[in-house]
Amino acid sequence: MATEPKPNKVKTDLLRVEGVTKIFDGVIKAVDDVSLTVAQGEIFALLGGSGCGKSTLLRLLAGFEVPTKGRIFLAGQDITDLPPYQRPINMMFQSYALFPHLTVWQNIAFGLQRDHMPKAQIAERVESMLKLIQLTSFAQRKPHQLSGGQQQRVALARSLAKQPKLLLLDEPLGALDKKLREKTQVELVGIIEEVGVTCVLVTHDQEEAMTMASTIAVMHEGTILQTGTPDEVYERPNSRQVAEFIGDVNIFEGQIETYAADHVRIRSEVCVHYLMHGISGHVGLSVVVAVRPEKIVLSKKRPAGEVNWCVGEVVALVYFGDHTIYHIQLANAQVIKAQQMNRTTDLAEAITSGDRVYASWSGLALVVLVQ
Amino acid sequence: MSKIFARTWLIMVYLFLYLPIVTLVIYSFNDSPLVSIWSQASLRWYSALANDRDLIASVVLSFKIALMVGLLSVLFGTLTAFVLSKYKRFYGRTFFFSMATAPLVMPDVIVGLSLLLMLVSLQHWLGFPERGLLTILLGHALLGTAYAAVVVSSRLKEMDVRLDEAAMDLGCKPRQVFRFITFPLIMPSLISAFLLTFTLSFDDVVLASFLSGPGYSTLPMVIFSRARLGLNPSINAVAAVTIAVVSVAVIVSSIYHVRTQRKRDHEIAMRYSDGSQ
Repeated sequence: MATEPKPNKVKTDLLRVEGVTKIFDGVIKAVDDVSLTVAQGEIFALLGGSGCGKSTLLRLLAGFEVPTKGRIFLAGQDITDLPPYQRPINMMFQSYALFPHLTVWQNIAFGLQRDHMPKAQIAERVESMLKLIQLTSFAQRKPHQLSGGQQQRVALARSLAKQPKLLLLDEPLGALDKKLREKTQVELVGIIEEVGVTCVLVTHDQEEAMTMASTIAVMHEGTILQTGTPDEVYERPNSRQVAEFIGDVNIFEGQIETYAADHVRIRSEVCVHYLMHGISGHVGLSVVVAVRPEKIVLSKKRPAGEVNWCVGEVVALVYFGDHTIYHIQLANAQVIKAQQMNRTTDLAEAITSGDRVYASWSGLALVVLVQ
Repeated sequence: MSKIFARTWLIMVYLFLYLPIVTLVIYSFNDSPLVSIWSQASLRWYSALANDRDLIASVVLSFKIALMVGLLSVLFGTLTAFVLSKYKRFYGRTFFFSMATAPLVMPDVIVGLSLLLMLVSLQHWLGFPERGLLTILLGHALLGTAYAAVVVSSRLKEMDVRLDEAAMDLGCKPRQVFRFITFPLIMPSLISAFLLTFTLSFDDVVLASFLSGPGYSTLPMVIFSRARLGLNPSINAVAAVTIAVVSVAVIVSSIYHVRTQRKRDHEIAMRYSDGSQ
């Protein structure tokens, strides 16, 4: 692979979705007034649980569904009414949909042959694709003779062979087992970046979205709740739903007690949260405070100060080797989770089930969300 | 104890099924003009068969009809199956489905009789069609289409729709999807539908009796009518030849099937042995 730095690309919008709504059978709103833009060269993830409309949105982009309302533009051209076979968009299907009666070579060549590309050129393109996915010696195999990971790469090569302007990935790693998944994930991103194709991927797996995408759109019930970089979506969720969907989170409900430009005090049932920056709001407003488990520090000693800690009893712990997740029951019966790195090998010092512990966090580790 | 019983039962069932056929083949080499009394071995009835014009004509006619029925049934059956599996909603779908498969459960005698009545009145009003090859063909194709539709649609139903979508995504117009993807994938079911409807037509006697006209007797009709007049051992010879042809076809196809299966298993095993992921 070339080591030269990539030229700074001017970020231009490649895909623009404007107010797209899809209603099935006149009543089921699968996609509800979604607008989004995807920049050239970006890997854009649509993340959400099952039935959130992410797959329907992907099918709308591919052209398998026609939107009830709204327009879709690709590189400035309105493609809303184009059938799938006329769109410069290719898709890698969930479980790949490789043609079982064709060889690897024929599968990759399939799209090129439909475009009546000269034979020599097809051969050249297929060879370069096979080299890219490192399956040159498997060209004459049928899909059933390949392992899951190999099939996945053939599916990728097939969808890249036509050099589409936009590549769609439907749960690209969904059919692989966990161990193979991590490896494939890295390979997949490597290939996509090498080719430099713009990508929209659909997944229900937040880890997959986090590691692969440059932008994540969190979808819920047909709408996009938040769009941002992976760290923005994780550290600055804009709603309780996003916070709860992405990663684990402890939620404290409370009211704003004092309110200033540089700090905010929020009283909840079990503790007082002191936020070291201002938020928009007013005294008495009901809010929720979200704290991620890995931002909590556990100690058997009482922390200094009166804010940003609470006390409880360890009711369960889940040991992962490198870290442990403690379930701590607070005075109001709420159970919070705290993740601690296992920094010592001294088991005697370790916090165990039944211990009374203090859970504290920094004033910068909080996210305040309006109810 | 129960094992012995099971074995005996199995052997008895096999005997019941195949002993008559074996006997028939043996007696086809019998010299005696009486069907059931053995005198000595000879090929007499095979040479008689070679000179029996009526019988040979009926074999040719049956074969011709069966071939065309097979082709027509597969064509119309595939179209029917395609409509039923691709178009989930259209006005009258349930009606269409039950009408398309009704001949499967309708007694042949009823179908034959109703077709005969229709043909007779058609001929009366239009002077067409003369009863003969065409009418038998139509009757058999009617039945065959229903069978072919069932066979092909069961294959179409288990086909992944995403293959169609993948093909379209890669630039196939709907017609090309059929040509490059659907057709090659349903090919095995088209072949079985053809063989099934071919056989159906080849050994049908009920519909053919209703629908044929003078000079058009199919092989089963000839055998049937001769059996009633008193069996002639040349019928045994015809049967023996038919059994030979069918057996060879079955054996060849199962050898082919086993071979491809083995090749496939071997290839699947290979993908794990070459070590590359």
